[in-house]
Amino acid sequence: MPNAGSSFLAAVWAILRKECRSEWRTRYGLNAAVLFAVTSLTGVSFAVGRLTDRSDVLAALLWVVLLFAALASLSHAFVREVEGRTLTLLRLVASPTEIALGKLLFNLVFLTVLEAVTVPLFLILMGAPGPHWGAFLALLASGSFALATSATLVGALISQTRGRGALFAGVSLPLLLPVLAAAVAGTRNQWAGGSAAVEVRMLMAYAAATLGASLLLYDHLWED
Amino acid sequence: MILRVGLWVWITVCLVAAFLWAPLVPILGDTTRVLYFHIPSAWVAVLALGWSMLHSLLYLKRRDLEHDHQAAGAAEIGLLFCVVATVSGSLWAKAMWGSYWNWDPRETSIFFVLLLYGAYLALRTAIEPAERRARLSAIYSAVAFVAVPFLMFVVPRIYFTLHPDPLLNTRGKVDMDPRIRAVFLAMLVGFTTLFFWMLSLRVRVARLLQRREET
Repeated sequence: MPNAGSSFLAAVWAILRKECRSEWRTRYGLNAAVLFAVTSLTGVSFAVGRLTDRSDVLAALLWVVLLFAALASLSHAFVREVEGRTLTLLRLVASPTEIALGKLLFNLVFLTVLEAVTVPLFLILMGAPGPHWGAFLALLASGSFALATSATLVGALISQTRGRGALFAGVSLPLLLPVLAAAVAGTRNQWAGGSAAVEVRMLMAYAAATLGASLLLYDHLWED
Repeated sequence: MILRVGLWVWITVCLVAAFLWAPLVPILGDTTRVLYFHIPSAWVAVLALGWSMLHSLLYLKRRDLEHDHQAAGAAEIGLLFCVVATVSGSLWAKAMWGSYWNWDPRETSIFFVLLLYGAYLALRTAIEPAERRARLSAIYSAVAFVAVPFLMFVVPRIYFTLHPDPLLNTRGKVDMDPRIRAVFLAMLVGFTTLFFWMLSLRVRVARLLQRREET
């Protein structure tokens, strides 16, 4: 069914564009997230100083900063709909899977922008040695993909609960621990001059598995 | 009634046997006996997690609140056993390794299970209508089900373990004194039965609460 397929992709694309546009209008989510990431980065950098010769610690700190920045911002895409009372209308025009996929793509774009600001700042402020760019970027990309798939699904769940923001970090964390462990190990390896191929594959596999499970589960997200 | 008394007698006999009948392992000394509480608790913690996830999937398929009662009850009791396993393991680690906690892979994975239970139960308390609570927590459970094997795979790659592995060692056989093995297996059966008995109580309470809500 080429027609159904193309209308599905068109719906996902339309959701993504709508997300980007409404984010661009207020820029409230992005401002808050970038500010949060820079704040936590400054906190870390100020507290520990430059760590040029401790790339193992740097790898851990980098991903802790990115994890917290993601936890502070990735539920926003769904919570915004609920708080603005626009979710019902959105559900009239698109299926749950289309909405969730659109928002997943938006979260990926969001994370990319966030990292484009945070990661260079981190490398400069912490006095990090030059990374092996290929492995480093592959880790960032696969790590973000894995972060975004889990966080998008949990964000969709959290937006339907009481006390949305407070729960998001705690409920996401168990799902993000494997991502954190693999990403930190990979980043540490590439700074030590080794290969990060196993970790990148691991992150991609994790992201693919959660995405696959999510695609089966998205349909159950809203029923009442 | 008979079953309850039987379970009580069974576990009492196991306890007495653990202290008076079974021998101690040379290096472990008195700490050998943690084996009879710690491993069965850890086993029940994992069994309860699996039980809870299975019923979550069944709920999504059949939409019967009975499955939700099972999933929630198993998670609550599983959390209890998980705390018992973590604390007893931590005390043992202090005695044998000299520190309560050092992110050994086994400690990491039990901590992960603990977090998972905590997150699942916290999520449940924050959702009001019963159907929505059942549905959303079942979705969470299903995704966590996907995450578990990854953690089991990725963690041992990063940290090395000091944890003794008497059940499934590399040679693939049980390396235990026959008397220790007898008490241990009996305790395993006892703890598993205890879990299912507690679960049936919890599910009955959940059914009553649901009936009261409906009237």
